[in-house]
Amino acid sequence: MKVKFKIYILIICTVFGLVLGVQIKQNNKNYSLVTLKSISSMQNEIKNTQKEIKNLKNMLDKKKVELKKYEQIIENKGSIVDVLEKELENMKMISGLEDVQGPGVFIIVEDNDDEIKIGDNPNYDIVHDIDVLYLINELKVAGAEAISVNGQRVLSNSEIKCGGPIIRINEHSLATPFVIKAIGDPKVLYAAVNAPNTYGNMLKEVYNIKIRTEISDNILIPRYLGDFKLEYAKPVKEGE
Amino acid sequence: MIFAIIGIAIGIVVGLYLPITYSTNYSLYMSVAILACMDSVFGGVRASLENKFNTSIFISGFFGNAILAAFLAYIGDRLGVPLYYAAIFAFGSRLFQNFAIIRRFIFNKNDAT
Repeated sequence: MKVKFKIYILIICTVFGLVLGVQIKQNNKNYSLVTLKSISSMQNEIKNTQKEIKNLKNMLDKKKVELKKYEQIIENKGSIVDVLEKELENMKMISGLEDVQGPGVFIIVEDNDDEIKIGDNPNYDIVHDIDVLYLINELKVAGAEAISVNGQRVLSNSEIKCGGPIIRINEHSLATPFVIKAIGDPKVLYAAVNAPNTYGNMLKEVYNIKIRTEISDNILIPRYLGDFKLEYAKPVKEGE
Repeated sequence: MIFAIIGIAIGIVVGLYLPITYSTNYSLYMSVAILACMDSVFGGVRASLENKFNTSIFISGFFGNAILAAFLAYIGDRLGVPLYYAAIFAFGSRLFQNFAIIRRFIFNKNDAT
């Protein structure tokens, strides 16, 4: 009888030791306090990383489609030069090295030429570089695809700088009246300058600067006439 | 006694090498359950020394106490009251009592022989 007890004790003690061993292993140092804040920040991090992965996958798909296109062209014995030339044309359009035309608006901005009364600040009657800059920015927000001021194409590297009575764009001096041309959805562009609470509306209503906006079905915007010189910027090769 | 120690040793070695893990959230419940198990084992050893060993009571006590202690800890966690103290006090004090009786048995036996 007594041996039977001992066997039972042995079995139960083995089970107990098993649980004990697992617990000892479990409790090994990695038992640290996890606050709700750290959990939520970790969740955010995971979410962001997942979003990034999704974006990268999207990009990969896009590139695959592009690659397939090229392969198809080669299979169909078409010339790859044609495709590349087409692409070059497209690039030139985007970068502003081609004359472009299309529907859009032109905005004529002129100084307020009312007589100055005593106590008026003449500064408020002049069109400043910052006014033009803000107007162009609002046009960009409204989805303008090409913008020019007095025939000067405004690109990403175009400066709009005060030069006393004139303003300088693309190192050209421009004087009033400024004619800002923009190609895009004409209604949206019109609204971007004339809707209440826009900068254009404020110039008109508060400072009495003369702004006229007209919609046109065909606006011609000339290409950028200067030349790009990249002295310092160098391309980053992919995969490095 | 010796069988109990052998059993625990085997169990710990096996447990350390078995790939079983669980969330650290349950660590507290497991610790309380282990305390209850330990109490049962000491009780069993004492009973076997007293020749009052009853298998069903030993086994039901072993698992029942462990589950009850873990459940108590869990309920305490839910309620925000550290109820697992109850288990710790009850099993802890009994543990020492049982151990004291076991010691007496062993030394008395040695004296007798």
